[in-house]
Amino acid sequence: MRSKKFRKSKGEEVEVPITPMLDMAFQLLTFFVLTYRPAPTEGQFAMNLLPAAPTMDMNAPENPNQDQKPTDSIPAALRTMTTTLHANPSGNLGRVNLGDLEVQGMDELRTKLKEILSDKTLPFDQALIQADPRLKYEELIKVIDIYSDLDITKISFSELTDNGGGPSL
Amino acid sequence: MSGNVGGEVRAEPNLTPLLDIVFQLITFFMLVINFSADNYDQRVRLPVAGSAKPIEGARAGEERLVLNIDRDGNLLWGGKVLGVELAGQEINTQAQLIKLNLKSAGKKLKSGEPLPTTIVIRADKATPFSQLYRLITICQTNGFTKFALKAMSAEG
Repeated sequence: MRSKKFRKSKGEEVEVPITPMLDMAFQLLTFFVLTYRPAPTEGQFAMNLLPAAPTMDMNAPENPNQDQKPTDSIPAALRTMTTTLHANPSGNLGRVNLGDLEVQGMDELRTKLKEILSDKTLPFDQALIQADPRLKYEELIKVIDIYSDLDITKISFSELTDNGGGPSL
Repeated sequence: MSGNVGGEVRAEPNLTPLLDIVFQLITFFMLVINFSADNYDQRVRLPVAGSAKPIEGARAGEERLVLNIDRDGNLLWGGKVLGVELAGQEINTQAQLIKLNLKSAGKKLKSGEPLPTTIVIRADKATPFSQLYRLITICQTNGFTKFALKAMSAEG
């Protein structure tokens, strides 16, 4: 109202200086552009690793709190598929054993696992990965990736020792 | 836009639309800025896995403890590089803090009951399994059973 009166009487306009505000806005924009880091597209494999327990114990008692499945009456050792991962000196994946069977590379491991899991007479629903201490995490993830792809999410780990095994997680 | 007053040329560009756009850009960057970048150590190069599931919206009340592990198996924690022993002490401290928090919130854990916190492991792709295994064992000894292994999604 006042400005209108002012405009009428004097014929002048009130000009709000926008330039300093624009300067400040550009500075803020520069700050955000420089500090902006796009979030990496990370994924994850969720696992429930129980404390160290004798997985291979045939008489291991079942946890009564867990939901009972048809295969739960079978001892855990018989439901566990063991994959042994050997490493070469540089930490890359070497020999791979699926139980007693030696497989060549990831493709064959995937094929064999598919065959085993599609056989409904076999009780496997969890996996034990025994890995060479030198094995790189990258190589381990490749195997976990295959299991996860085949809907085996109950995975436990064990460190491979000279005598071929170790305490499992 | 411009006027000629006595031979003097004055340019008066309208800056308001420009200011509007700049404010919109500032709003955009403020909304997408990642303030939790500390959890994602840039020194850790994650492996790539096709079936790694993107992190869904954090479940209500779910606590996560992110462990960044470098290529030598050291824990990167608060700007420090901790070896296995110091990492063990730090994980133990964190476990005690979580128990205290639960106690103060009125939730008492039964003896042997696992901690509800999820350990998120962000390990470098060259980390040897032995180091990873030790840290996982330390976490389990301290009562953690929920784990999430991080990897880059294949499309990333």
